[in-house]
Formats: sequence, C-alpha cells, structure tokens
Amino acid sequence: MKRLWLTASIAAVGVLAAAAITTWAQTAEPSSDPLFRAMRDEIERSKKLSIPGLESPYFIEYSIDEQESFTVSASLGGLLSQRRERFRSPDVHVRVGDYKFDNSNFAGGGGGGSRYDLERFPVEDSYALIRRYLWLETDSVYKGAVEALSRKRAALRNITQTDQLNDFAHAEAVHYIHDFKPLVVDETAWAGRVRSLSAIFAQFPEVKASTVDLEVTEGGHYLENSEGTEIKVPESVTVLKIRAAAQAPDGTTVRDFAFVHALDVKNMPGDAELTRTATSVAQNVAALAHAGKGEDYNGPVLFEGAAGAQLFAEVLGKNLVVSRRAEGGRGGRAPAGELEGRIGAKVLPESFDVVDDPGRKDAQGQPLFGSYDVDREGVRAGPLQVVEKGVLKSFLLTRQPVHGFEGSNGRARIPIGGGIDMAGVSNLIVNTSDAVPASDLKKKLLELISNRSKPYGILVRKMDFPSTASTEEAGRIIQAQQGATHPVSMPLLVYKVFADGHEELVRGLQFHGLNVRSLRDILASGNDRNVYEFMDNAAPFALVGYLSFSTEACVVAPSVLIDDLELRAAEGDQPKLPVVPAPEISH
Amino acid sequence: MSQELNRNFSVLKEKADPPPYFLSYEVTETEYRSFSGTLGVVDPLEQGRNRILDVSVRVGSPKMDNYHRVRGQGGASQGQFTSRSLLTFEDSVNSVKRRLWQDTDAAYRAAAERLIRIQTNSQVRVADADDSDDFSPAPPSVFEQKPLELKFDAAAWRERIRKLSARFQSYPSVLTSHVSVSMQTDTRYFVNTDGSRIRHGRGFARVVISASAKASDGTDLSTFETFEAVDAAGLPDDQKLMASIDQVAGDLTKLLKAPEAEPFVGPAIFSGRAAGVFFHEIFGHRVEGHRQKDESEGQTFTKSVGTKVLPDFLSVVFDPTRRKVDGVDLNGWYDYDDEGVKARPITAVENGVLKTFLMSRSPIKGFDSSNGHGRRQPGYEVVSRQSNLIVESKHAVSEAKLRQLLLDEVKRQNKPYGLYFRDITGGFTTTQRAGLQAFKVIPVIVYRVYPDGRPDELVRGADIVGTPLSSFAKILATGDKPEVFNGYCGAESGSVPVSAVSPSILVSEIEIEKKAKSNDRPPLLPEPTVMESKGGKL
Repeated sequence: MKRLWLTASIAAVGVLAAAAITTWAQTAEPSSDPLFRAMRDEIERSKKLSIPGLESPYFIEYSIDEQESFTVSASLGGLLSQRRERFRSPDVHVRVGDYKFDNSNFAGGGGGGSRYDLERFPVEDSYALIRRYLWLETDSVYKGAVEALSRKRAALRNITQTDQLNDFAHAEAVHYIHDFKPLVVDETAWAGRVRSLSAIFAQFPEVKASTVDLEVTEGGHYLENSEGTEIKVPESVTVLKIRAAAQAPDGTTVRDFAFVHALDVKNMPGDAELTRTATSVAQNVAALAHAGKGEDYNGPVLFEGAAGAQLFAEVLGKNLVVSRRAEGGRGGRAPAGELEGRIGAKVLPESFDVVDDPGRKDAQGQPLFGSYDVDREGVRAGPLQVVEKGVLKSFLLTRQPVHGFEGSNGRARIPIGGGIDMAGVSNLIVNTSDAVPASDLKKKLLELISNRSKPYGILVRKMDFPSTASTEEAGRIIQAQQGATHPVSMPLLVYKVFADGHEELVRGLQFHGLNVRSLRDILASGNDRNVYEFMDNAAPFALVGYLSFSTEACVVAPSVLIDDLELRAAEGDQPKLPVVPAPEISH
Repeated sequence: MSQELNRNFSVLKEKADPPPYFLSYEVTETEYRSFSGTLGVVDPLEQGRNRILDVSVRVGSPKMDNYHRVRGQGGASQGQFTSRSLLTFEDSVNSVKRRLWQDTDAAYRAAAERLIRIQTNSQVRVADADDSDDFSPAPPSVFEQKPLELKFDAAAWRERIRKLSARFQSYPSVLTSHVSVSMQTDTRYFVNTDGSRIRHGRGFARVVISASAKASDGTDLSTFETFEAVDAAGLPDDQKLMASIDQVAGDLTKLLKAPEAEPFVGPAIFSGRAAGVFFHEIFGHRVEGHRQKDESEGQTFTKSVGTKVLPDFLSVVFDPTRRKVDGVDLNGWYDYDDEGVKARPITAVENGVLKTFLMSRSPIKGFDSSNGHGRRQPGYEVVSRQSNLIVESKHAVSEAKLRQLLLDEVKRQNKPYGLYFRDITGGFTTTQRAGLQAFKVIPVIVYRVYPDGRPDELVRGADIVGTPLSSFAKILATGDKPEVFNGYCGAESGSVPVSAVSPSILVSEIEIEKKAKSNDRPPLLPEPTVMESKGGKL
C-alpha cells in the first residue's frame, strides 16, 4: 500500500455511488478524461512488458483513489488540528502467469522490483506526467511480479497442494463513469461546531480524555484494467467522531463513543442533536466511572437497539468472508471463518432472512450508508441473499477464488495490499418473520431470569464496534478470547436488569465464547429496525484509526434476546489513578 | 503552563513515591506551508499548524535519576518519557491544562518505573567507569520573544515551482525529479521547576531540488541541492535556482555516463562543503557529551581531553549564536537549547588539542555543566547534539595551491590519480562499541584528478570508508575559503537543524570502496510520452 501521506489518523476513502444513478452505461465510449487516457494507453503499452525468458503480464490494473478532505479535531474547547488536503493514491497491479496460476496468493511474494523515487501521484490531470508515473510504477511492479512467480514455482515444487484453486477469477468488462463532486464545506462553521462539542466535556470532571474529530471527504475511485473495465465511482462521506474516556476508582479505563455519519455533509444532524449526542457520551462515561464492576454471568442477554445491529455486523458480517491461504507459507493456514464450509447449514433461527443489498434505499428513498453499484474490482453488485429461513446461502466474494467458490459477487470493498481486496458487507439487512414488539423483549428477559431464579439479567445497549480501544487494549481482548477466529469486541454499555425492571449500569465485562454459533440461540427478536452505520476496515473489531483505509457499511437489524451467553469480568493489571488531581475546569 | 507545572510538581513532590525533583514542559508550535512540483505540475499547497508537548520529569536525585544510562539492556540505554502529544494550538486554558496534567502523569509513571529498574541494575553490576551525576544544575533563564509571523507568498511560489520544476523537461535521461519549497516557523515555549520561562523561535525556509536516474547496469543515481534561509524572502532568486537545477540535472546526466569508481587508496581534496559533512560525521558525533558516558559507545575521544586529536593548524568551534557566514544563512543556530540553557559558542578543538565536549544537562566526568547543546526534535528525549560546526585553519592556501599540493602528493605516492570530492550527501558513523569504529560517507560527485594534465574525470558509485583517528592525522592543508553545508542531522533525539562550515581540505590518504548497488534493470519500456522527440516539451 502506498498511502504514505496519510499521516493523519484515518482516511475515510469509501465506495459509494450517487443516489440517482442506476442505469448502466452499456455502450459508452471510452472516457476522454486525461487520467483515463493515460491509464488506458499505458496499460496497452505495458502488455508488451517482457524480460527475456519470462512471461509478459496477463492482467494489468490501475486503481486510483482521489480524495479531497477537510479535517478538524478538538479537545475541551481547543482545536488540536485543522487541515484541508487533496491527493490521489494509486495502486498498480500486475499479474503474470494466467488465471489458473499467477504471482498472487503466495506467501513469499512481495518485495523486488525497482524502486523509483516517485513521491506523490499528480493531482493535476497532466496526461504526460500521469503516464510517466504509471510507466515507472508498472515497471517496478512487473519486475516484482515475475520474481514472485518464479519464487512461487520453486517453492511449490516441494509441496503437495491439497486445494487446487485458481488464482484469479474472470470478470466481465464494466464501464461505469460518474463525476466526482467538489468539496464544499463551511470550514469556519464546522471548526466552531467541533470546538463547541468538545467543550461539552469540560462540564464533566470525571472525563479524563475526550476528543471530537470531523472528516468531510469528497472524491472517488478510478479503476482501469486490461480486460476493458473502466470505472469512476464518486464517493462522499462525512464522519464525526466523539470519544471520551475516564478512569474508575480502581484504575480501570472506561469509555464511550458516538460516531455520526452522513453521505453528504449537508445531511448531518443539527447542533441541537449533535449536542445531545456529545452530552450522552459524556454522561455515559461519567456514569461508567461511578458504576460497579460487573461479575461473571451466564444466561440470557438482550442486545437492545444499536447493540443488536452491532452484533450482526460483527458476529455475522465478519464471518461471511472466506479467507484464502497464501501458498508456500510456513505456519499453517490463516484462521478459517466460522462459517466456512457451512453453506446449507442452519446458522440462525428459521424465522431469519438476511440479505446484503448495496442498492437498498431507506424509507425516504435515500440510499443507505453502505450503498454502491460497482465494487473496487469493477464488478457490479446486486442484492445477495445471505441467509434464507435461517440457512446459510452464500458468502461475500471477490475475484480472489476461495475454497468452493470462484467468481466475484461484487463484494471487494477493502484493499489489503498486493492487489487483493477483502470482502465486506454493504447494507446487511436482517429480517425476522416472528418479531415481537421491541418493548416486550425486556419482559421476556425478566421472565427467563425469574423462571431460572437468577437475581438479574443482562442488557447490552452498545458494543465497542467499530472499536475505539487502544491497540494494547485490543490486543488484551483478543488474547482473552484465545482461539476465537473472530474475537468479539467489548460491550460498552452493559446493564443488570432486576426482577422489578430497574437497571444498573456495570463496567468491565467481556463476552466469552460469543461467536456465530451463538446466533442460533436467539430466543426472540424485536420489531424495531435499527440502522447502524459504520466505517469498516480490515482490522480486528474494525479498530478505528488502525488502518488507513476504511469504507462505508450499514446494518439494519432488530434487537435480539440470546440465551446462554457468558460474560466475564475483564482481567489484567489496571494503572493506578493519577497522584495529582485533575486541573480545575474554568468556565 | 507555569501554573500547571507548579501544581503538578508540588502535589507529586508531596504525595508521590518516589517524588520528582525536577519537572519541565516544552511546547513547540509549528506552522508550515509547502509546495512540491514535478516537470511543471505542482501538488496542492500543504499547510498546517500544530503544537507538540514534551514533558520531562526527573525522579530520584541529580546523583541518580530515571534518565541514568543503563548498561547491558540491549537497545535503549536511555529512557523515553515524553509521548509527543498534540496540544491545542488555540489558547484554550482547559484544553491545555488537561493535556499537561495527563502527560505529566504518564511521564511520571514511566519515570518512577524506570528509576526502580535502574536502582536494581546498579546493584547487580560493577560500578560505572564514569560515576558523574545524571543531571547538572543550570541557572534559570527568562526570555520572551514575540512569536514569529509566517510569511509565504503562496500564489507566487506556486508559479515559481511550476516554472522551476518544468526545467527538468530539458533533461530526458532524468527519471524522477522534484523541486519543493517549504516555509516553517517554530516557536518554543519552555518552563521548568528551576524557574526558567522562555519563549523563543525562528524560521526555516528551504528549497530542495532532487533528481534520480538508473544507469544501464542498474545503479541508482541521484543528485540534489538544497538552499536554506530563515525566511522565504531570503531564498535565492529564480536565476540562481534555475542554474542549480541545470547543475543537478547536468551532474546526473554526466554520472549516467561516468565510469564506476574502483577501490582506491590515495590523496584527495574535499571541497569545503564535503569537508564540512566529513567533520560533522567523523568528528562532531564523537564529541557529543553523552557518548562519553555510555559504555556501549566507542568513546573515541573520552580520555583525549588536553591531547592532540587533529593536526595543530586546525580548530573546531561549535557556535549556535552564529547566524551567517559570508552572507550565507546558517541552519544550526538557536537562542536557547531544549533544556532552556542559553546558546553559546564553544571551542571543541583549539590548535589540534581537544578542549571540551558538546554538553547538555547530563554531566560527564570532568564536565559538570551544560554548554547549551541539549537538543531534540519534539517528541524525543534531549541529548547533546551539534549546532553550527565551524572548522578554522591556520594552514590555509589558495584553492589553486591546494590543487598543486594534491598533484605533488599523487606523484610522491606514485599514484595514477588523486580524488576530488565535490559533494557529499551525508553518511553514517558507528559510535557504538559493538560495531566497527568506522565511518562511511557517501559522496555524490567525485572526480579523478590526473597529474598529467588530463581533464578531471567524473566517476560514480564510490563510498568513502575509514576509521576516525587515522583519518584526522592525514589532513595536510586546507583551502582559504570557508563553505557552508546546511542540513538536518538525525540521531537519538530526532532530527535537528545543523550546519557545517569548513574550507576545503587535502588529505594524504583516503580509502574508497564500491558502493552496494541494485541489480535490477533500468525501465524495460522507453519513456511513454514524446518528451524526447519533442525536445523535452511535455
């Protein structure tokens, strides 16, 4: 990945097609845009690349993300940074060999190639300079590819392959061109808004650390490949991140967050709503700092509201991807997804249907947050029935063949390097045929604990997904769930619910053994449809800020009551409280 | 800052165990603008403003504290306590105080933990050869300078960079080229519990011209030139920059055709700029005070104070108060160092005899106070670093005479040629004891100088190698015109602006070896556009 200039925390580069555009440009002329001309001409010429005795490329692809963004962040009423930037981030992919066997999917690949001092890809549409850049980059990548292919052949001489998969799936050529929008944002107004939101935390002395970050991005994705695919997909996204943390009296760090998303900055909520959101984060953190420590628990758990959708995003969504093991690697297979090999098996109660639908619109006719027409490999995406009557029907696939599947269904969403894209959900819609009024779920929980003579039941209102944990903390959580293929993030807002219906916030609990199989133990689901928007990435728990690439995703799901879940008190040494009390806040 | 410093310090002192005895805050406020261009295409303006906080807390006592250098721990012999936090760039009291408090807490925890480890370490190991203290007293400084205003004509510079970078279109064998300009102002705020209160700053303007190419045998070649000044208005005009681009591109074009250097031992001249880099690498890094105390270091000069380390006609001064030499802005000046100690000139070598080291507030045997050379890049811990290194000579001859002396030496040694090093990019020097006490500097432009009157011949792919003590003994004479090399030096405490000023020098013997080179081919396909056939027009 060559995103060197992404020194700021996160680049929200996503994939989204503009709302009104649904017709395919079937017979469109090749674009006369200088960038496309440069890409097309250089691909045509690069097909002839060769080194005596070695193959020429069979596939060349240029993938360029263009981004113009405005970012501002603040803490306690003071701006920490404010910037506006515009750049293009190119990725050149060259495949040598053929679709059956090429330089990819090899553990000893990478490296090699010439290193040219190219620096930044031009933002100006200079045909000549763009071609020069692509010329040198393609040269370098091609040399690396032929080297990798010969190393792969040598390495596989000594290995019996158990699984003869092709290396790359065919795909039809797609032509899809839609212009990008310019970045229009009132910088002063937004800086002021972010500053004011951050100042709310000054009213809560318990809150130890807090930040408010805004990123408004316009731009999009260009793709040109040697099969004739040519796409230009506009992408617009605004993300406001509100984060806060405190230390409980025993030293444990407690935190909460609220991320507010919009496809167009004009559709962001107003000041009153944002103030309410920030205030609730502050209140939650203050309450957590005073909350009692949770104890080990075994029994029914109600995932209410956003937590239900987060559960499906993390536990189901992340397992709809099938991983491909790189050949010739030592140290065995990459962890298999928990659903691999289970097509046709029951993974949810019979009342459940799940569809991943990138074209889905909301009640107002607006596209949902995870919408797109064409994926990052230039493959068209339509609705995909993932689960039907509780039975697993299909996986999210890219052009990388995986065990049992070859051929993309347009779910290449997150580039992970080496020309490979990871599959991800678009709009994952969870429907049930036997929903009960959402308000009845708590009553059901109380019935269950009363039948089992338990003192209380557990209610979860927010999971830490995408996670705002530090990398150290994320590492501890993964370790605590040793062996789990897809460790599940911490629940952030956990309540004990007592027989009389009163709730008590507790902190420091962690699920143990919660995985995709737990979903078969859903006892009831609500008639609420919680729309949960998030920026997905390739890190565990979609850890925020850990990777430079993230993309829009959305889950629409009901609240669910699941039986037999285990929660344990998180362990580990906690840092002591600071010796010096916090400075007084002046107003 | 002062309020929070005093509040944190007094509570920690009263309630913390072990208590701190010293606390300092340094905030570096940076504002910058920059443009970069390639072949007439300019990237969008990059600009920004930020403040970075560095907290220094010392627990234990000046005799032994958390900064004590620990032996045998593999790697970090000095602790890292500051965490390079972003502080609000607005004057929001709540936001600033909160950050100071949090970072003080984090730095204190790390400091207390390390002190306990150090105390254990000192009990299980033999005594240090240098049992000097860990921290020296320094008189408090109070100084306040108005923060600088950044002046940068973005529209004019965008056009200048466009025009300048387009010049490379006339050089088709150059594969990549960049011309960039940057303007930055730094304002440093410093407070400590000794009572220092300082606000000072300076500007950094820079033009960087760089080009690279690949020879037919795979060798990667690059040439560059930089210009530094304290403000953008002080940078050279377009005529001078164009000439420099022609030089950079012309040198590269010639290097592509130049023969590869052969391993060689013999006499050579270093141009003033090359000699400056040579002294910076080979001498300067070895008189940084903290290296004398660290037993993993080579300690080339540790016990040499009062003895001859250079020929007696040479003196070396480090002068951070000097801002210009012969009208050229120096890059290594400052008013106060990063421990709040006032900058002052020091004579490290006088008539060949080593007098002192570059000192921060970390004392060493025989030198118990700072001489204002404790420096860092924000986010790193302070160590002693170089400022403006100035080589002075009492055996200076004209350039023509120096060349004649070289030819005489070539004949005397019966060598086929001597060498002339015009430009050196930088180099490495291993000061660690576990490594070879050797250096390698990387010349860019090297000529063979023949005694028979043939023109000088450019060669490529040479590295200068040697050992420091023997190299200095071989300096025979110097030129009479000091030249300035401005740059940024990277070491434990990050990258700091420095200068090296020296006349050209003649050495009786230098060794060059072949540079490691890449083996991949030059681009397989020719340049895609018609640049060449259209005489460079894009």
